[in-house]
Amino acid sequence: MSCPSSTPPEGYLASLAGFDRMTTARLASLLAHHDPVAAFHVAVGDAPPPPGIGALLAKDDTLAETWRRDGRLRDPAECWQRCVDTGTTVIAHDDPRYPAALFHDPRAPAVLFVRGDLSMLDARRVGIVGTRNATQRGRETAAEFGFELSALGVTVVSGLAKGIDGAAHRGALAHPDARPLAVVGNGPDAPYPKQHASLWAEVSARGAVVSEWPPGTRPDAFRFPLRNRILAALVEVLVVVESRERGGSLITAKEAGERGVELFAVPGPVDSRASAGTNQLLCDGAAPATSVDDLMMALGLDQRRAGRTRFDGRRRPDGDGVDVLGHCRQGARTIEQLMLLLDRPIADTAMIVARLEHDGWLRETGGWFETIDVWGDLA
Amino acid sequence: MFASVPSAMLRGARGQAVQVEVHLGKGLPGLHIVGLPDESIREARDRARAALASSGFDWPNHLITISLAPCDGRKTGSGLDLAIAVGVLVVAGFIDVSRIEGLAFIGELGLDGSVRPIRGVVPIVAAIENSDVVVPASTLVEANIAARGQVHPVRTLRELLATLCDGEPWPDHEPRGPDIAPLHVPDLCEVQGQPLARLALEIAAAGAHHSLFMGPPGSGKTMLASRLPGILPPLERAQALEATMVHSAAGAPLPPSGLIERPPFRAPHHTSSQVAIIGGGSQVARPGEVSLAHHGVLFLDEIAEFPASVLDSLRQPLEDGVVLPHRSQLRDPMPARFLLIAAMNPCPCGGGGGPGDCTCGDAALQRYTRRLSGPVLDRFDLRVNVHRPAIDEIMASEPGEPSSVVAARVLEARRKALDRQACLNRSIEPADLDRFAPLEPAARARLRHEMERGRLSGRGYHRVRRVARTIADLREGCSAAISEADAALALELRAPLSRAQQGRAA
Repeated sequence: MSCPSSTPPEGYLASLAGFDRMTTARLASLLAHHDPVAAFHVAVGDAPPPPGIGALLAKDDTLAETWRRDGRLRDPAECWQRCVDTGTTVIAHDDPRYPAALFHDPRAPAVLFVRGDLSMLDARRVGIVGTRNATQRGRETAAEFGFELSALGVTVVSGLAKGIDGAAHRGALAHPDARPLAVVGNGPDAPYPKQHASLWAEVSARGAVVSEWPPGTRPDAFRFPLRNRILAALVEVLVVVESRERGGSLITAKEAGERGVELFAVPGPVDSRASAGTNQLLCDGAAPATSVDDLMMALGLDQRRAGRTRFDGRRRPDGDGVDVLGHCRQGARTIEQLMLLLDRPIADTAMIVARLEHDGWLRETGGWFETIDVWGDLA
Repeated sequence: MFASVPSAMLRGARGQAVQVEVHLGKGLPGLHIVGLPDESIREARDRARAALASSGFDWPNHLITISLAPCDGRKTGSGLDLAIAVGVLVVAGFIDVSRIEGLAFIGELGLDGSVRPIRGVVPIVAAIENSDVVVPASTLVEANIAARGQVHPVRTLRELLATLCDGEPWPDHEPRGPDIAPLHVPDLCEVQGQPLARLALEIAAAGAHHSLFMGPPGSGKTMLASRLPGILPPLERAQALEATMVHSAAGAPLPPSGLIERPPFRAPHHTSSQVAIIGGGSQVARPGEVSLAHHGVLFLDEIAEFPASVLDSLRQPLEDGVVLPHRSQLRDPMPARFLLIAAMNPCPCGGGGGPGDCTCGDAALQRYTRRLSGPVLDRFDLRVNVHRPAIDEIMASEPGEPSSVVAARVLEARRKALDRQACLNRSIEPADLDRFAPLEPAARARLRHEMERGRLSGRGYHRVRRVARTIADLREGCSAAISEADAALALELRAPLSRAQQGRAA
């Protein structure tokens, strides 16, 4: 394999990290014995492997074959060019810029790909995660926490997924001084999901987007649980806002528990499926997060603030509108339920609801109406 | 010797008159059938020969030529057997030609000389003009529906020949309807709660709006849809005859009276083939489910599970009210003017209830909803979210409003619509909407807002106005203009397909 000598070692790292079946452990043991260039040649079979890796390669010749192929496909010069083009910084484990919080982690990534600047890691860090299919209430809570934490100078760490993750970052970015951090499961260059392209760009511009994988890596399902451990390792406090019985955010919570990260969960209605996972976390000993104050206490930053209020320019509802909002605040309602609660004809109910929707007080999902509070525009 | 015997055969869902001409001449004894007969007609010669022998007549030892006029166009079906046998008996001299004047013959022959029923007697008899008609006895009820002249039922060839040869009176057979229990139409009073869905059903019936019910399993979508025929007005005589003809042509069971007076309800399963649903066939075009639902309701449960090809082929009948089989040999349009009611789950996991309950990934959700192509989805005026009724509602002791009360309102609303614009509200042309469905200023503002937010397309706007017109018609009294509440309700009944589509124009 001939490569121009101008390719820096980072190019070889970017190439290696993107190999098929390259695990954190394999990459770490390759890099433990070699500098990146030598490690690359060992991996593709140009140089004799060290004992550990040698045994591995000998045991599994399809792995050697795969890596030989990937060595041809992933030219280090091209990989490096891609990092340069996308503004991605490559940080190896022995790099002084490598985050201290991750350095001693038992499963620390051997290399990190970063878009943006990691200096926000020097601040206090709170992770906000949750389900992708969240309720309006859940997203608003995430947005509120994101904003309030940013306002208090705390770094908001999340995963840029749909639902809770996105809302947390949108809330954080609503504060002008926010420096949010996103840990993602694909390459740091391509927004995923696509709807979050602008959010992704803003996070990387004002904070940073971090990944274990090089630019161009696709968002395969197996990468997201691995991403979650990095997120868990980078934060001091983790809040799960909403999660169903099983979900990625519970993996993050478990990883956080193993690392001694303080775990919070936002309590939800007992009959809400979107809160089944968080309520279980509370049963299992997570602390309830009912406001940002709870999180600040956990960080040892007890800053009781005079209730910060956000300007609410919506037209105040009147008459039946107030009643409808009152009912919907207690949980999502269908138009049929509202009709019975109001004891009005269905057409009138539809009109009241339509007016509230128009004024931005209600949101409809699959025939269910949820209230929008003052954080609704960020959720 | 020559004889010409009128008969008729089935073509698609209609009958076609066929003149069976029989010629007996010199030559080697044999029988030729010309006029594009298919295999079932060519076999008629063997059936006729055996039936004649069983009935005590000798087959003439001459060259017999049978022509089925008009001679172009394929002839099919065993219903011409009887006419062929009678023609042969006439040319052989057993029956005097004057005896069969003004008579048409329909029926299949058994080798023992029995006259057997055939499929599609109603349209076949309807195709015979200016003649009395002889039919298999067991199809007397069907034949009576469409016959213009007298109907003479016969059980056997011998019975027929006793009349034709020996001048005995026509045999007298009791008309016996099919042995099926009268169709039970479930009543709307059995539906507990569900005010929105019930209202949607009423609106669909009054304005003939195609409707899509979306809801988790167990929310009562099928229960609701099956009650729609009960609130539709009964068929008028002409409609009933058309529906009966299609059912007869398809060999589908008819009610004891023979005439289909209630709107039919067809609910094909989603594994049904395209031919089963649209109609068609290799040689003989059979009416499909869309034609059987003519003047009635076609209910597609789990519509997202139907193959896309089947759903797309629904577009023509939805547009034109007819089905054209796409075969070179078969060009006969079949009627298919139906009210389409569909049901689907909001997502593949079946969801459950409120926001955040669904466990589907976005990709799975999109795969599921994408199966309904835009053009088909666009045909639905109503898209209704159906929720599982609350326990209190299920256990409520007082029954819901019975179908008869709702049906009266539906009839009244239909009458208003027909008086106003001579068609049901579904079919109001966009150009006429301002005349027939004017909007109050507040209603206009509400719709405008929806369009500005990109949640309502131009086409959707017209559909919402038509639905709002029906909502206004269903109210007591007469309101010329559409109020804000009517418009708001019409919008509520136009739900986005799923959370994947949330916020997109439709």
